[in-house]
Parts: sequence; structure tokens; C-alpha cells
Amino acid sequence: MLEIQNLTKIYEGGTLALKKVSMSVEDGEFLVIIGLSGSGKSTLLRCINRLIEPTEGRIIWDGVDVTGLKGEELRKVRRHIGMIFQQFNLVKRSSVLTNVLSGRLGYVSPWRSALGRFPKKDVEKAVSCLERVGILDQANKRADELSGGQQQRVGIARALMQDPKLILADEPVASLDPATSHSILKYLEELNRDDGVTVLCSLHFLSLARAYATRIIALKDGEVVFTGLPSQIDDARFREIYGEDAIQVEIR
Amino acid sequence: MNAPEERRKEIPGRPRGLLSSWRFVGAIVVGILIYAFGWRVTEINLQKLVTGAPDVVHIVKQLMQPDLLTRDKEYQRAYADFLVPCGPVAPRQPAVSETETYLVLSHACGESGEPLSVEGFNFRPSTRGLLRWVPPTGTKRSLQYFDSDAEGHFALGIAVPDVGASEELQQIEVELRWDVGLPYPSETTRIVAEKMVQTIMLALMATTLGVFAAVPLSFLAARNLMSKYRGTMIIYFLTRGVFNVVRSIEPYIWAIIFAVWVGIGAFAGVLALGMHSIAALGKLYSEQVESIDPGPIEAIQATGANTLQTIIYGVVPQIVPPYVAFTIYRWDINVRMSTVIGFVGGGGIGFILIQWVNLLRYKQAGVAVWAIVIVVWVMDYVSSVVREKIV
Repeated sequence: MLEIQNLTKIYEGGTLALKKVSMSVEDGEFLVIIGLSGSGKSTLLRCINRLIEPTEGRIIWDGVDVTGLKGEELRKVRRHIGMIFQQFNLVKRSSVLTNVLSGRLGYVSPWRSALGRFPKKDVEKAVSCLERVGILDQANKRADELSGGQQQRVGIARALMQDPKLILADEPVASLDPATSHSILKYLEELNRDDGVTVLCSLHFLSLARAYATRIIALKDGEVVFTGLPSQIDDARFREIYGEDAIQVEIR
Repeated sequence: MNAPEERRKEIPGRPRGLLSSWRFVGAIVVGILIYAFGWRVTEINLQKLVTGAPDVVHIVKQLMQPDLLTRDKEYQRAYADFLVPCGPVAPRQPAVSETETYLVLSHACGESGEPLSVEGFNFRPSTRGLLRWVPPTGTKRSLQYFDSDAEGHFALGIAVPDVGASEELQQIEVELRWDVGLPYPSETTRIVAEKMVQTIMLALMATTLGVFAAVPLSFLAARNLMSKYRGTMIIYFLTRGVFNVVRSIEPYIWAIIFAVWVGIGAFAGVLALGMHSIAALGKLYSEQVESIDPGPIEAIQATGANTLQTIIYGVVPQIVPPYVAFTIYRWDINVRMSTVIGFVGGGGIGFILIQWVNLLRYKQAGVAVWAIVIVVWVMDYVSSVVREKIV
């Protein structure tokens, strides 16, 4: 279980990205965070694995206060939290296989990995992860030779290598077309349903959130403005979250 | 009445036609003045371009016939004695023979300027020869080239040269030379090959020096790494400033400085090109560091990787291929520069090229020029192929 208490983030320069956000995520949830650009979704996700240092507040995951961790302890927590990014964040010039193996870096000894020697079982695991997301035939290609959808699948495979208990997905489909978006979210749904991985995913489109979320949280200007089931978001709620002028766009 | 008012309204929004056209005319006039001045101070003379052309033809001809290959020579020599003026005893004529070479003179003594015919027998057929006059003192004089006929016979009419009276014997020397055996690389080719190897190594050493110094310095010259504190920002500006100054000084000038410092030779060339490479590579490398994509670094950190792992898996793959590409590109440039750095004392092939040019030995210079053309062309091709593969 993940518990966030009074999380505040003020960036250098004074931008207030998160205002005393409190929420909790049960194990096995597919929790979707919605909200406009700049509402604090990315900041919130990055505070959970401390890619961004929160200014105030606490994050407690499985009884451990993540905000207080340093060095080795922080890395041990991070290796159980997979992360997927809007821009995929693959090392473009490295091979697909190397990108996937890099998901295992938290587990292997630094000196072995420095020489590029991963244990045999990790390589086998990478192969099976690539097989699972259906791009094993691309394993030896350079990452930037793949299409957007394929690159995001590499991103998922990299997260899978971590044996994650939690996956943070920051706008995972915002750079993809609608059909590819569904295929990516279906992989996340499958992980959530079959492997019991908790998924915390930010999305732009409410229609996608409705299709995949078990619960939705809405952020606006760094504050939680809605928590509830997808079915509870009616037109009034929608305007509250996205502003008066917004129109719902359906992604099928 | 409405029309002028409307026009006045429009005017501020548009460029003002009259004024801008005056400016345009002014700009053209200034431009013409600048070019006229430039034409004068650079002493451009198109007439000279035409009239001077014949002077360069023989140089170009010799450059086009480089002294690349050579063959072993064999020669035949024969002598006849002569006296200037006639004395009490006439010199003996060479012995007539059926098989051996010998010369026959029309007369064996006489005054300077008198005609004299020289006939030769039993020489190598159809071969080029040279007739020389060998006075009792002083240097030999080449008088006439000739070719022997199919029977190995020749007949020449010469004039007795102005050698001054002497009681001692003068000598007429005939020498026929011809090539034997297969062609093999000339001495020039051997020297050029040796110097070319030195030149390429010079470029390699200079590039290596540049890489070793530029890699660490490039991080100090990367704004994204150094902008955090005021102190590091000062280092950033200093490094950038030094790069710009060093880069703006041409390698030739560095070569002059280092030729004085460590003496004329390849080492001065290594230092001169190295100096320039440090600054040039440092700038290119640092720009590469500045354009690193933070995304993959963030992603690697998120997997629980430590700092070393993050650098090896997130940073290195992003900067190494462009670093290698820039380095090969620099080596390519350095090979090109090293061929001429010798002009100003930097060693390598340029050093002997400029010597041959100064001695007017254009056939030898031609070998060096062709070697430079080939090496630069090959390096250019190889470096572009390798760079394409890497990036």
C-alpha cells in the first residue's frame, strides 16, 4: 500500500506544483491520475520514486518512509518501482536488448554491469520480457529504429525486468496514436490483472481513463479535486477538472 | 477627398517605399565602393593571369611527371685525345677494332672554334648518348646529345670549344646510357613514403593529444553541467574563452611558436596541431554534452541504478558515438593540415615538399603532391564512411 501525506513541491523559482496532496493507493489498483498539463501529475509520480525531491510531506510505501531514504536504501526501493515515460526515455543509440537489460541494473553488481556482463538468467529474463510485449524479433535493433508504439513496449519490458510491485506510468500514451494507445494500456491492464502489479498512471484523456481505471484521481493546479470511480465523473465534474471551456474527446 | 486620408492610414503599416529605395541605392553605392577598394588593395590583375600562364606550364608539366619509378642504368664510354693547339707530336688516334667501341676524329689537333667531326663505331644500337669535352684542367663540358643508329654507329659535327691553349691532352668523352631491368620505386618515392608515414603518425599523435585533453575539459565547458554555482560558471566561461582564443589561432602560427620552442621537426607539428585540436574538439565535445537527453538518465535512475551505472548506461551511450565521430573528423582534418604544417617547420611531408619546391625540383615535388592528394582523399573517404556507421 502506498500512502501520500501532505505532499508539497515548490520548484526553484517558486512554482508551486503540488499543494498538500494526500491520497492512498491500495495494492492491486489501476489508479489513473487525470488533469490538465501543468496540474502536477508528472511531479506527483516522480516524487514517489524520488526522481524529484518533495519539499514537504511524506510518502510511505509498504510501511517504509520513502522520503527519508538515502543511497543504497533508496535504490533498493526504486528497483521494485517500474516507470514508464511519455517520451519512452530509451537510450536511443543502444540496442533494444541493452535497454531492456538496463531495467535490471538495481539487482546486478555495479562492476559486472559496468563491463556489460549481465548474468545469464537476466538475459533470459530480458528475452522473455521482450517476448511478452511481442517485439523479440527487434531485440538487436537500435532503439531509435523502432516505431513509437514499439519503443513504449521496450519501456514496458524494461520496467518488467525490475519485478515491479508498482508501476508508475507518466502519460504513457500521450505520444502515440489511438490504436497503439489501447495496445499499450492493455499491456498495463494485463500486468495489473494477471501479475497483481499496482499501476499508477497519468492520462490526458478521460475516455481512456474510464476504460482502464479501477479508480480515478483528478488533479487541478496541484490539488486533488476528485477521487472516486470512473462512473462518478459526470459533465459537471468534468468541467470542474478540465475547466469550463473543455469538450470531451472520445478515444476509442 | 477620402483617398489621401486612407493612404496615410495605410502607410505606417507598410515599409516606406521611397526611403527604403534610397537606402537600397545607398547600400549599392557603398557596396561598389568597398569592392572597388578591395580590387585595388588586393592588386587584382587579370592581364597578368593570361600573360603569366606560360611561366607555370613547365612547373605543371614536371609536377605531372613525378619521379616515381626508376630503373637501373648501364653505360658505354669511349675516349679520344685532342690537342689545342697543334704541337710537335699529334695525339694517337684510338685503335680500330671489329667488336670493341672506338671513336674516329677528323683530325687530332686544332684551334678553338674549328669544326671537328666525331664518328663512333660498334656502340649499342639506337641508344641515346652524350658527347663531353674534358679539358686537362677544370670541369667537363657537355656538348651534344645524339642517338646511335641501328648498327651502333654515329657521326657528329662539333666545334672545338674555347678551352684555351695547353700542351696537355684534351679528351673527348662519349657516353651512351640506357635502362635495364624492371622499374622500381625511386629514391624520391622512398623518402616520400617514409615522410608520409611520419605525417599520418603526426596527425594521429596530435589528435590523440587533443582527445586526452579535450575529453575532461569538455565537461568543464558544458553549460548544463556548470551552471549550478557561480564558481563553476566562472570555470565554464574561462574554459570556453580559452577554447575560443586557442581555436582562433591557426595551427601554422602554433607551428612557428613550437618550432622555436622544441626545434623544427615533427614534434613541433604534433604540438601545433594538438593545441588546435584540443580547442576544436573541446568545443564540439562540450556541445555534445550540452545536448544530452535527460530522459534516459532519469529512466536509468528510476530502475535503482547507482551513479556509476547511470553514467555507463545513460550518459556514455549518448556521448561516445558523437565523440568518436568528431575525433575521426578531426584526425581527417589533422592529416590534411599535417601535410602543410611542414612549410613552417612542423615536420612531415610538407617539410621536404617545400625544400624541393625551393630547389626547383618539381619532379620530386610532384611525388609529394600526388602522395598528399591520395592520402587526403583516402582519409576523407574512410572518415566519412566510419562516421556514417557510428552516428
